[in-house]
This record gives sequence, C-alpha cells and structure tokens, in this order.
Amino acid sequence: MNPRPASVWRAFLLFGALVTFCADAHFQLLYTPEAAVQESQQLPLALVFSHPFNNGHTMDMGEPEEFYVVSQRGSEAERRTTDLLQYLEPVTWAGVDTRASAFIAHPPRSVTRSLGDYTYVLRPSPYYEAQEDKYIQQITKTVVNIGGLPGSWDAPVGLPVEIIPLDKPYANWVGGVFRAVVTANGQPVPHAEVEIEFLNHEPQIEQRRFHPEGKVIAPQGSFITLSIRADAQGQIVIGLPKAGWWGICALDLDEGLQHQGKELSVDAVLWIKATEMTP
Amino acid sequence: MNPKLAALVFSWVGLAGLAYAHNPICDCYDNGDNTITCEGGFSDGGTAVGVPMRVLDGAGKVLIEGVMSDRSDFTFTKPEVDYRVEFEGGEGHIVQIDGRDIEE
Repeated sequence: MNPRPASVWRAFLLFGALVTFCADAHFQLLYTPEAAVQESQQLPLALVFSHPFNNGHTMDMGEPEEFYVVSQRGSEAERRTTDLLQYLEPVTWAGVDTRASAFIAHPPRSVTRSLGDYTYVLRPSPYYEAQEDKYIQQITKTVVNIGGLPGSWDAPVGLPVEIIPLDKPYANWVGGVFRAVVTANGQPVPHAEVEIEFLNHEPQIEQRRFHPEGKVIAPQGSFITLSIRADAQGQIVIGLPKAGWWGICALDLDEGLQHQGKELSVDAVLWIKATEMTP
Repeated sequence: MNPKLAALVFSWVGLAGLAYAHNPICDCYDNGDNTITCEGGFSDGGTAVGVPMRVLDGAGKVLIEGVMSDRSDFTFTKPEVDYRVEFEGGEGHIVQIDGRDIEE
C-alpha cells in the first residue's frame, strides 16, 4: 500500500479538529464561585464567552448591553434591581489555547448585603459567528442565594427569552434533577432545542483563566454538549450527576431577528449548581 | 466553624424534632454608625413582619425589645456591653446571634 501523502493526513487532522470544535457549544458564562452562601459577602463575577466543558475556544466579548442583579429578600418582599455595569473590568481571559476579551466584576458588599435571592442578568453584545455567518446573543442568568432565605428564584425577570426555574438553581444535590420552562416573550416554547454543558474547567477569576485540568473526561463527543428537547409545554428536566456548575442554553428562541444585516440567534442561558452530599 | 454559623446550625438542629416545616432565618450587620440592623424570615420565603426581637446582655437581662418591621428588619443602637440578639419566631423558632459575630 502506498503511504498517504502528507496533504491527505493534514486534511484528515483538520477535519478532526473541526469536528472537535463543532462538537461543543458556545456558552456565555456568568460565573461566581458559590451559588449558595451562608452569609453576606462580596461576590466576584466572571463574564466569559467560551466552551465550558473542554476549555476550548474562548471568544471575544464586546461591551455588554446590560448587566444587573435583581434581588429579593423573602417571597413577599419587593424586588430590587441594581445596575452592575459600572463594576465591569475588561480583562484578557485565557482558555487552553486561546485568549479573548472578557470581563470580571467585584461589586461592593453593599450590593449583596441582605439575605435572599440574587438573580444576575447579563445581556451581552451580539457575537458574530463567522462559521455560521450570523450573530449570537446569549441572555444569561445566574441565581445566588444568601443565608437560605429564598426570594424570587422562580419568578421571570421579564427577559425576551428566559429559562424559568421550577427548582431552586442554587440548591441541588448531586443525583437529583433540575426542572425549568423555556420561554420566549413570556410564553413557553414547545420542543425548544436545549444544550447542556458541565463547567468542567473551574474559572480562576483572579488568574483570569480556566483551571487547566478538567474534572471529567467525555467518553465521546456526544457527552461534551448534551442536546435535548423541551416537552410540549416547554419544560425540561435535567439530571445532575456531578457537583459543580451546569449551563443550560435554549437556542434560537426569537426567530427572524437581524443584527447588522445578519441573522441574530437569541439564546437563553441559565446556570445552576449541583452540590455533593458530604458528611 | 464560625460561631455565628454554629449558632444557626444549632438552632436548625434543635428544630429538627419539631413539627414546624419552615426554619427561622436571621442575620445582623453593623451599619457602621453605632447601629445594628437584623433581617429575618423563614426558609419558605415567609415574612418575619411582627416577629419579636430581643437584645440581651451576658446575664440574660433584656436591653432592647421590639418587633421586625414591615420590611422584616429591626434596627437598634449598638449596646456598649457584650450582647446577643434573639429572633423569636415562635416556640422552638428562636435564632440567637452573638454580638461579637456581627460585622459591617
């Protein structure tokens, strides 16, 4: 047998690399280390657009359009919205083989002074995805609780696309399930396309990078990004087999939108955290 | 373990054998102006409006008494002696916080 020419091998390797790239999903991170904290403290945040399972290609973020937190102490209390744009600090974030523009934030302790639920909301600027010749905007929520007093974790913020939790996003045991409803313009989206990824490389905010070592290894590409469909009522149910943050992304919920003459895919992202039962 | 957390955990453990479904929650912070504010509620998100609050010295003498406001909070002047705060959310629903654990 004649050996394959080098060009064939190069093409083969390139194809493999592309398959690897396409096998995982873009996820807007809105990260803070803990989802449920015992008492009031300053909560650091990292806003990174990346591929969280395999510490893959990290993408440049533009200036966010909106970044705020909605807090509520108790289910009957008033909701309070605090704008956080002033606390954004542009940084260069390091992925395993890429560096990209991202943001970190250290809002003062006064922002998280009270007990209750804090729903952080990020509306990033649209990102141009050259491979698909379209823009992507992932409107992202992360819910944190302080002190165990719940607030508005199950209430819509009122975003155009939104994943509404049916279980507390910050209080999930490993081995349990998490339920939510995918909505667009306030209505459930039947059979919505949903992707799920485990935050396999823990962000290290002060080093502006992901931890180089992943926590788990995917046995095959299908396990990097889990793809599911919502049911006819727009509800999803997700198992949580491993402690840590899990990203849920409902894709392309607001069809027909354009940005700078290109298609704009508006996605809804929600981050939830699973916690190990320890003695 | 942080003493305040220990106090909270003790409170919850103490309630485990009771029939109440919802745990009392209370936290206090120093406003930095010689006043202390405490916030409270219950683990189901229920309000603490009207819940009795007491500030006691080391011997158990009541220094200040009041109730949680319609915002489920209670502000008092910081005592000059060692003190503790009690959130009295019903029988067996008492949370105690040592004044030394209250920070800004």
